[in-house]
Amino acid sequence: MNWQLTLPVVAGALLAVGVGELLCAAVALIAGDGGVLAFALPAAVLIPVGLGGILLSRGLTAMPLRPRDGFFAVTMAWVAAAAAGAAPFLIEGTFHSVVNAFFESMSGFTTTGATLLRTVEDQPDAILLWRSLSQWLGGVGIVVLVVAIAPATGLAGQRAFYAETSGVTADRLTPRIAQTAKIIWAVYLTLTSVGLLAYWAAGMTPWEAINHSLTTVATGGFSTRTASIAAFDSLAVELVAIVLMIASGINFAFYWLVLRDRRRIWPQAAEVRAFLVIIVVVTAALTLALVVSDAMGVGSALRASSFTVVSVITTTGFTTVDFDTWHAFARLTLLLLMFVGACAGSTTGGMKVIRVLLLGKVAGQELRRQLQPSAVQVLRLPGRVYPETVRRGVLSFFLLYMTVFAAGSLAMAAIGLDEVTAISSVASTLNVIGPGLADIGPTENFASIPPGGLWLLSGLMLAGRLEVFTVIVLLIPAFWRARAA
Amino acid sequence: MTGMKVIVIGIGEVGRHVAGSLSADRHDVTVIEQDPARVEASQLDLDALVIAGSGASPKLLREVGAADADLVCAVTQNDEANVIAALTAHQLGARQTIARVRDDDYYDDDQSQARDVLGIDVVIHPERATAEDLAEAILLPGAVHVEHFADGRVSVAETIVTTRSSLIDRPLGERTRVRPSFVFGLIRDGRVIAAEPYHQVRVGDRLLVAAARADIGPVVAALAGRTETIRSAMLFGGGRVGLALARRLEAADLHVSILESDADTARHAAERLPHTTVLHEETMSKDALLRHGVDRTGAFVACGADDRSNLLAALHAQQLGAGLCLSVVSREEYTPLVDALGIDAAVSPRLVTAEAILRSVRGANVAAVHLMIEGAEILEVLAPAGCEAEGRSIQATAALTKARVAAIVRGEKVLFPLPDERVRAGDRVLIFNPRRGVADVQRSFQAA
Repeated sequence: MNWQLTLPVVAGALLAVGVGELLCAAVALIAGDGGVLAFALPAAVLIPVGLGGILLSRGLTAMPLRPRDGFFAVTMAWVAAAAAGAAPFLIEGTFHSVVNAFFESMSGFTTTGATLLRTVEDQPDAILLWRSLSQWLGGVGIVVLVVAIAPATGLAGQRAFYAETSGVTADRLTPRIAQTAKIIWAVYLTLTSVGLLAYWAAGMTPWEAINHSLTTVATGGFSTRTASIAAFDSLAVELVAIVLMIASGINFAFYWLVLRDRRRIWPQAAEVRAFLVIIVVVTAALTLALVVSDAMGVGSALRASSFTVVSVITTTGFTTVDFDTWHAFARLTLLLLMFVGACAGSTTGGMKVIRVLLLGKVAGQELRRQLQPSAVQVLRLPGRVYPETVRRGVLSFFLLYMTVFAAGSLAMAAIGLDEVTAISSVASTLNVIGPGLADIGPTENFASIPPGGLWLLSGLMLAGRLEVFTVIVLLIPAFWRARAA
Repeated sequence: MTGMKVIVIGIGEVGRHVAGSLSADRHDVTVIEQDPARVEASQLDLDALVIAGSGASPKLLREVGAADADLVCAVTQNDEANVIAALTAHQLGARQTIARVRDDDYYDDDQSQARDVLGIDVVIHPERATAEDLAEAILLPGAVHVEHFADGRVSVAETIVTTRSSLIDRPLGERTRVRPSFVFGLIRDGRVIAAEPYHQVRVGDRLLVAAARADIGPVVAALAGRTETIRSAMLFGGGRVGLALARRLEAADLHVSILESDADTARHAAERLPHTTVLHEETMSKDALLRHGVDRTGAFVACGADDRSNLLAALHAQQLGAGLCLSVVSREEYTPLVDALGIDAAVSPRLVTAEAILRSVRGANVAAVHLMIEGAEILEVLAPAGCEAEGRSIQATAALTKARVAAIVRGEKVLFPLPDERVRAGDRVLIFNPRRGVADVQRSFQAA
C-alpha cells in the first residue's frame, strides 16, 4: 500500500475527529450533564496520533501513485473516522455493543441520520452535539477538509479528493486543489452560519439552532428531538429547513461560479434546474395523492409533502409527518425519490440529479439508435459536451448501484426482515437518508435490526457516501492481487 | 487603381486566382511559394514574379520588398504560416495585409483583434464565407446564389427558371414585375451574357436579377416559379464548410442532417451542433442517401473535401429527388461538370476567397466584387464627383465601360434606371461585367 498517501489522509481524518471530540468535551464540561471523560479520553489519544501520523508521513519517501491508492486511502480515512467517532458512545454507555456505536457513528459521518436511539432528548448535550458535529464533518467530506487544511498532501491528496467528491467528471474550480477545497469549505461555513441564524430567528433555542444547522447543511438528519423537526410544530422552522436543505443540495461549485465565473455555469445550472423541477413536480404529485386518497386538506398536504420531498431528495431525512402511513403511491414515490439524490458536488447522497439526467439521455439515445443506427450520438447538457467515457461511467455506476442495492436487500431479507423493511433499509442507508418504511419508518428507529444487519448497513452507508466505486473496488480480488497499475 | 505592388504568399487554388486577377488588372504581383513544382507551374502561366521560399521568412519578405508593398496576401494552406507572414509583413511596413485563416480557434468574430494584435487588416475565412454563400441560396427560395451590395440595400440573385415559371418562352421584356427589379444577366449553356429584352426565357436558364434587399425574395420566387421555403437540409460532409453551414441553418430553424464518412469528423461536428442529426456512413451510396430521406429533403449540399465525391453525391441526390442541389467545387477543372450534371449551383471556396481579397484591393471606388464563372463579375462602384461617367446616361456609361448598369443606389433609394437616366456624383453603381476588363470600369469611375 502507498502509505505516503494513506497515512496523512487517515491521520488528518483522525485529527479532525479528535479536535471535534475535544470541543464536545468542553461542551460537556460547561453543560455538566456528563460525557467529559467520554470525549476527553479519545481526544487525548486521537490528537497526538493524528499529528504524529502527519509528521511521520513527511519523512516517507514518495511512491508512484496508482489509481487504487486514492480509493484505499479515502475508504480507510472514513472507516477510521467512524471508529474513532464511536468511542465516546461506548465510553459514555450510550450503546453497549461495538456494532451499535459504530453504526451510529457511521450514520453520523456519512450524513445518513439513521439512529439506534429510542429517545434522543435524555442524552447528554455533548453526545447530541457530537452526533450533529460528526454529520457536519462528514457532510462536505473528510478528505476535502484534510486537503483544505493540510495542503502538504499535494498531488496525493488530489487523488483522494477526487475519490471522495461526487460527480460524473473531475471538476475543479481553481488551479490548485487545496484552493478548491477551501472554496468548498467557505461555502459550507457560510451556509451553516446562515442556517444557524435562520433557525434561531424561526424560534429555535440557540443550542437547537446550532445542532440543526449543522445537520441540515450536511443534509444529515440527526436531530436533538426524537420526533425530529415535527417536535417543533412550527411552519417557520419547516420553511427554514426546506430552504436550507435545498441550498445544501445544490452543487457548491455553483455558488462559486455564480459569484466568480458565470461563463462556466451552464452545466451546473442545468442540473440545478432539473433538481428544482423534480422537487416541484413530485411535491405536486404527492400533494394530489394526499388530498385525493388520504383526505388531507390542500394546505396541510402541501406542507407535509413539500417538506418530505425536499428531505428525501436531499437525503437529509428530517421528518414532520409519518409518511409510512401514507398511500402506497406516495410511499413508493418517496422510495424511488431516495435514489435520485440532489446535485453532484453537494453534501447529499443518492445517485445525483446529473446522473439521472444523463441516464435519461443515454436511454433516449439508445432508443433512437434503434431507428437510425448511423446517427452520431453526443452526450450533452446545455453548455457542455461530455466525453464518451462518461456514457460508460454513468451506465456502469447505475449498474453497480443497483447491484449493490439488490444484493443488500436480499441479504437484509435473509437476516429475517420483511421485504419492505429490507428494501427500504438498504435504500435509506445506501442513499444516506435515514428513515425508511415499515419497521424503520419515520416514527421508528434502527434498533430492531439485528447486529449483522447493522454491520451491513454501515458498510452500505459508506459505499453510498463515497459513490460505490471507491468502496466496492476494494472488494474485488484484483485490487489486492495485481502489482501493476 | 493600377500599378499596386502586391505580394501573394502561397499559390494554391486561391493564390493562383488572386494573383491572376491582380496581374490581369495590371498590378505588379510577386508570388512566394514553397513547393518547387508549383513554383515551376506558375512561372509559366502567371504574369508575375514567382519566388521559391517560405512566406513566413522575414528575410525573404524583406528581399521581395514587403516594406513598400501595397498589399500582402498570405493564402497558403497553413494558418500559422499565414498569420506569421502577415504579421511580419505588417511589421516591415506593408500598407495592407490579408491572411487566410481556416481554423475557427484562431478566428475572432471581432476583426479588430486581428488588426490590433496581429496587424492583419483582413482575416479571410474561406470555409465560413463559402458556408455563408450556401446558406443564402438555401434560405432564399428559388435562388441558387445571392449577393448583397451597397451595405445590404440591394441584392443580386442567381435563379434557375423552372417549368412553373411564368416567363417560359416569353421574351424577358414582357415579364410582369412583382416588385421593382432588373434582370440584367443570363447564364445559358454555361455562358454568361448580358440579358436583352428580346431574350426568350427557357427552362434551365439562370437569370441574374437585382432588387432591393427586401424585394429580392418575391422577385426571385416569381422568376424561378419556386416559392416554397426550404425547411430541411442534408449536408454531405461535416468538415469546416459543413459545420459552419449547419450552424447557420440551425440558427434559421431548418432541420439539418449531416452525412460524414470519417468517424472523428462526424463526432467533432455532432459535438458542436446540438440540433443537427449527424450520421456516420462509411460509404456514400444511393441506398444510404435514400435511407436518410434524401428524397424528402428541401436542400442537398455536397460540401465534403473531395470535389469528385461532392459532385457524385449531388448528382445522386438530384436524381433521387432532393430539392435544391448545391455542391462545393474547389478545383477549377470540375466547374464545367456542375452544369453538365444538372446540379443547381456550385460554390467555390477559391472564388469566394478570391472575391473577399479582391474586394479589398480593387481600389478606393470599388466597394464590392462578386465573381462568377467564366470571368464574369459584378462590381459595386462609387461615382465620385468629376469622374468620366458623371452626368452621362446609363446607356452612355454602359458603352463607356463595355458593361451593363444593373442598378443605381442613390442615397437610400434603389433605382433600376431607364437608359437615359444620368449618373450623379455620389451614386453607387452596380455594374455587371460579362467579360472581365475591369480597367475600363475603373477608369470611367476614377475621380478627376
